[in-house]
Amino acid sequence: MSFLHNYIYYIGAAGLVLIGLLIILAKHHLIKVIIGLSILDTGVNLFLIAVGYIKDGTAPIFSRPDLDPGRMVDPVPQALVLTSIVIGVAILALALGLAVKLHREFGHLDLRKIKELKW
Amino acid sequence: MVGLPLLVAVPLGLAFCLPILGLASKRAVAYVPVLASLFNLVVSISLIPQALEKPVVAYMGGFSPPFGITLYAGPVGLFMSTLVALAGLVVSVYALVYIDKGPTVKYHTLFLLLLIGATGMVLTGDIFNLFVFFEILTISSYALVAYFGDRGGLEAAAKYLVLGAAGSGLMLLGIGLLYGLTGTLNMADIAARIGSVPPVSAFVSLALIVVGLGIEGAVFPLNGWLPDAHSSAPSTISAILSGIAIEVGLYGVVRVVFTVFGASNILLFLVILAVLTLLVGEICAFAQKNIKRMLAYSSIGQIGLILFAVAVASSASIAGGLFQLLSHTLSKVVLFLAAGYMIHRSGSTEISSLEGMGSRMPLTSFAFAVAAFSLVGLPPFAGFPSKFLIVRAAVAEQGVIFLVLIGLVLFGTVIEGAYFFRVIQALFFKKKENKPERHDAPALALVPIFLVVVIIVAIGVWPDAITGLLDSAASELLERAEYIRSVLG
Repeated sequence: MSFLHNYIYYIGAAGLVLIGLLIILAKHHLIKVIIGLSILDTGVNLFLIAVGYIKDGTAPIFSRPDLDPGRMVDPVPQALVLTSIVIGVAILALALGLAVKLHREFGHLDLRKIKELKW
Repeated sequence: MVGLPLLVAVPLGLAFCLPILGLASKRAVAYVPVLASLFNLVVSISLIPQALEKPVVAYMGGFSPPFGITLYAGPVGLFMSTLVALAGLVVSVYALVYIDKGPTVKYHTLFLLLLIGATGMVLTGDIFNLFVFFEILTISSYALVAYFGDRGGLEAAAKYLVLGAAGSGLMLLGIGLLYGLTGTLNMADIAARIGSVPPVSAFVSLALIVVGLGIEGAVFPLNGWLPDAHSSAPSTISAILSGIAIEVGLYGVVRVVFTVFGASNILLFLVILAVLTLLVGEICAFAQKNIKRMLAYSSIGQIGLILFAVAVASSASIAGGLFQLLSHTLSKVVLFLAAGYMIHRSGSTEISSLEGMGSRMPLTSFAFAVAAFSLVGLPPFAGFPSKFLIVRAAVAEQGVIFLVLIGLVLFGTVIEGAYFFRVIQALFFKKKENKPERHDAPALALVPIFLVVVIIVAIGVWPDAITGLLDSAASELLERAEYIRSVLG
């Protein structure tokens, strides 16, 4: 059980990434694909947080002498995740905007039938 | 030292002001990208002599590395940022007349953001910052591909977005893994520590990052989005995507493989991938009847050639590859911009509808022909010395495999010649029955096109003018220790 206990966040992150990839690859509905992208993004964010996480850790405030520097959570991945969430929102908004326009043009969002461009 | 952060900061500040300026005057907005790229061009060129002696490194916010973000302007970075600014200047002058309908303020804002993303990517020395600029570049290009809002553009943008977003998610995963392994985000610091990392973990991280960047760099088999996106976008955006965006993606791959990971053992894999990219691109281009799709596939082929030369990884071949990158950018910008007004006048993208354009639009057709000859590699244009350098460097490598591969590359070039000459034949040698009157592209569009044509001929006649810069760029990529020392001190 200690393996599960130590690596539960990594397992969860890998699971979310794989679920997201599976949805992107297997689904034909554009909204579902966008949901897949969102799940993939969440998995990546969880992974980033897990990289810097320490169990029962504290915030990295060096001006407080009662906090042990060895038990402080790494703040860099959290800053990265903040940026990554903002980027994710931009992509999600643009993707949904495109989906609205596509639905107006084609009347459906079935990716198997949206293929006017060919190799 | 002061100049380097301004390369990113000035255009970024202007891009944020554009929507407000757009409320006052829509006409004025179109001139801002011209000014911003002119500024970047002047600053980049003025930094080159300094960077040839010693790379210019700027520490953002005064934090010394590995904390804080560094901007690193070596010969490679400044070569690329000069190219981005030059292409941006040419395309934005052309856009003054070409982009006349639709949400023009949004167009110019996104265009400027795209240029910032490209400039930032080639100048940054921090791998997460590379990711952020990469996202700025890609998100603005997704939106610009769908600028016309027609069926093809929307479909292409949706494909591009899904593929690109999945790729950038994987890239971020790779960066997170790299941070977990080395505890730093500074590229030089990672490069210094990567040797003590378990090789399997480093390889997984490298693979994830290369896949993410390779999608933008259009390396086979990650290039399914490219022909659709490049052919459905407005011609100005096709020019900038083809001339700048994919090259910058390729720069990312090369920087990560050479400098950050020093992964010389995957270079043979990259060489084979590059030859496949080249053959797939050229063969598909030959089969196209739509001129913009043909040019888009030709970009895939050229990317294959550039990656081939860089991945052979001798000093001469990297210099040749960067030379090819320069000549491809110049030629492809002219080709797409010239094709833009030809399509505008004839009303169709079919190659057959361009017959007789040589007498109808002589100056535009002339520019198209010069750029096509340069891309195929005829002297005295810029494409000749670049291809010559690549072939000479690859033949100088030991081993039969390089001889076989260079044979395939030359075969690809022959196909390239075949489909470009077919277009030239349609332009000049097929006469339409009824003689249409002469109606060339507007002067404001011809001036930037001919500026690039002059540069193509000038570089073709005096290749020595830039080989010094290219040689030191090649040594920057090959000498990791030098890179690490110049950042970390």
